[in-house]
Amino acid sequence: MINLTDLSFAWNKQPIIDIKELTIKKGEHLFIEGPSGSGKSTLLSLLAGVITPQSGDISILEQPLNLLTASQKDTFRANHIGFIFQQFNLLPYLNVLDNITLPCSFSGIRKHKALSQSKNLESEAIRLLNALGLDDPELLQRSVNELSVGQQQRVAAARAMLGSPEIIIADEPTSALDSDNRESFIKVLFDECQKADITLIFVSHDTSLKTHFKHSLKLQEINQATIKEAV
Amino acid sequence: MAILSLAFKSLLNRKLTFFITLFSIAISVTLLLGVQTLKTETKTSFMKSISGTDLIIGSRGASSQLLLSSVFHIGSSTNTIKYETYQDIEKLPAVEWAVPISMGDSHKGYTVIATNLSFFDHFSYANKQNLTVQSGSIDDDMFAVAIGADVAQKLDYHVGDRIIVTHGGGEIEGHDHDNIPFFVSAILSPSFTAIDQTLIISLEAMEAMHTETHDHLGALPGETLLDSDHHEHHDEHDEDHEQHAAHDKHDEHHDEHDEDHEQHTAHDKHDEHHDEHDEDHAQHAAHDKHDEHDEDHEQHAAHDKHDEHHDEHDESHEQHAAHEHEDTQDQRIARLLKLKPENINAIFVGLTSRHAVLGMQSYVNNFQGEPLTAIIPAVALQELWQFFSLAESALNIVTTFVVLVGLLGMLSIILMSLNERRREMAVLRSVGARPSHIFGLIIGEAGFVCLTGILLGVILLYAVLLILQTPLANYYGFYLDINMLTSNDLFILLTIQCSALLIALIPGALIYKYSLSDGMNIKF
Ligand SMILES: Nc1ncnc2c1ncn2[C@@H]1O[C@H](COP(=O)(O)OP(=O)(O)OP(=O)(O)O)[C@@H](O)[C@H]1O
Ligand SMILES: [Mg+2]
Repeated sequence: MINLTDLSFAWNKQPIIDIKELTIKKGEHLFIEGPSGSGKSTLLSLLAGVITPQSGDISILEQPLNLLTASQKDTFRANHIGFIFQQFNLLPYLNVLDNITLPCSFSGIRKHKALSQSKNLESEAIRLLNALGLDDPELLQRSVNELSVGQQQRVAAARAMLGSPEIIIADEPTSALDSDNRESFIKVLFDECQKADITLIFVSHDTSLKTHFKHSLKLQEINQATIKEAV
Repeated sequence: MAILSLAFKSLLNRKLTFFITLFSIAISVTLLLGVQTLKTETKTSFMKSISGTDLIIGSRGASSQLLLSSVFHIGSSTNTIKYETYQDIEKLPAVEWAVPISMGDSHKGYTVIATNLSFFDHFSYANKQNLTVQSGSIDDDMFAVAIGADVAQKLDYHVGDRIIVTHGGGEIEGHDHDNIPFFVSAILSPSFTAIDQTLIISLEAMEAMHTETHDHLGALPGETLLDSDHHEHHDEHDEDHEQHAAHDKHDEHHDEHDEDHEQHTAHDKHDEHHDEHDEDHAQHAAHDKHDEHDEDHEQHAAHDKHDEHHDEHDESHEQHAAHEHEDTQDQRIARLLKLKPENINAIFVGLTSRHAVLGMQSYVNNFQGEPLTAIIPAVALQELWQFFSLAESALNIVTTFVVLVGLLGMLSIILMSLNERRREMAVLRSVGARPSHIFGLIIGEAGFVCLTGILLGVILLYAVLLILQTPLANYYGFYLDINMLTSNDLFILLTIQCSALLIALIPGALIYKYSLSDGMNIKF
């Protein structure tokens, strides 16, 4: 369901990504590892359609991205992909509830899906937060600045899952967490993705997390650009 | 829509910088509009200073000088024209009315102008409004004074008060005409022109004061019977007589001064009238009040070059008798003399037809009797206003820069917030926001801050105007008319709003570029 072919991308003529072939199946939980600066985040940006490859094709959910205009890509992303960053996932001026329901402002499809799960967005947010282990309902109205980093990452995960996008892309979502938090975060993320049949692409330079995943790959192994650079 | 509410929430999250930017824009807008308002109001009130007068005639010289002295009572009043010129002008068929104006006296710093009663009928300001009286009434008594609203308020004068006029401009060096007190007959309603700071007396009274100053009038022998106040004046006069005798033309009469004050008879001009004395006696004797004057008739008669005025004495004396104040002897003499001045400063002229203005102007400019200038008030006001155009544009430039500084403040605050907001932008991009959304967020924020700044600025402006209106009218005689914003003001506000949006293109373009290049990376 995600296919990359002959993909190459360079930042300012400096080749970062050069991938012959990569296929990710639906419902797969894929762990991508690679040292810092190897181009993991760049690859995710390519998948999200935020940046455009110099050559090669990306197709997601049978939709070739290069056939879409920039704004169609933005809409496609809003409809089908949830993101979790390493840190600062949340807008500081929105409360927890508004942060979670943010994707609905940009995607009617996800809003519709969310409302098919629960009677309104708020109860869907509460449902997701409960599933992720945050069961204090008073939390919803709190300012995100009052949350711990672990709580913030769970809120970010809830947002990524709201309206059941087909794909969740997580860029080192656990690197700001301590090891206990990290374990439980990955566990709830896995469980939820499993339940909703979400394809999870999880990127990290922390190889110790690899054990939780059935599928994993080393970016430097499939990425010709890095090999060239290394040589 | 979602983006707008995000922009708003993001802004509220940065309350402090938001309010600082808001106020800096609001204050600059208030300042700019305030200056505009003040400018138009000043100009309007300036242009309203005189209306309905077709020409102002004065001695040959700069038109602005004539305008300043005759309408604004600013500058010297040393340029004079002959009273006969006034009489000639008045007789011209094209002239509907003519009012003589004489200046040069003051009262506690306020200008005193001397004119005749027709001034009140013909002088008009703003939209041809005549001067109106707020208390008392215009009195044709020679020593009646009509005072401007400001004069009455500042000096706390009321109808019936006695006042003393000073010769010359200043409060300091002028000479008090204390032998000729005036009584306040009318307090004029505020016109918000120079008239508010003016006292208006009769030409005859002004001439009487001046004659008195030069000691052409003297005390009468019989007056020693009057009350002590008059005594004092009388005594002073005796001294004066001695001093003045030295430079009096009529040295031959010097010896007689102390005994019988016959110096009056010495008036060269009136020598020819001596023969008529006997007739005049009869008329004067008729006055009950002036019985004691009988012995003085010789002098009175001798003074009077205007035999024709003798007949009028009856009326004027009767009127005067109605006043609560006793005349001083100087006044009494002046009443009998009714001297018209030899010189005046300006003539206000109304023409029978507006078409006659230019012809009349050139006629006056080429007047045979003496060199004259005629100005058309509206034109001269416009010309004079040009003098201020430099100050006006300087003010404009300064206030424009104030607004620019306000907008630059906004720019720098947005730019400073940009780095921190790059993260927010990446988050927004990740949930599906387009680069144009991100761009709109910045532009919308700038637009919103500027718009609220402008609205606040306008509210502040009206608040300031409302607060200032009364004190400005009361203390500065400046009537600030509070109007709706003019189309010019709206244009300025629109320009400010557009400039804000234009300036916001800079951070907008930056964040647009970031949102494209950052990808899904959150930069720290
Ligand atoms: N916006 C950008 N402009 C120019 N070069 C960039 C940009 N983003 C990344 N790069 C370059 O691309 C290379 C890969 O960066 P990337 O962020 O993808 O690495 P990464 O594997 O995610 O590293 P990390 O584990 O530290 O997050 C780096 O050498 C970086 O300098
Ligand atoms: Mg990275």
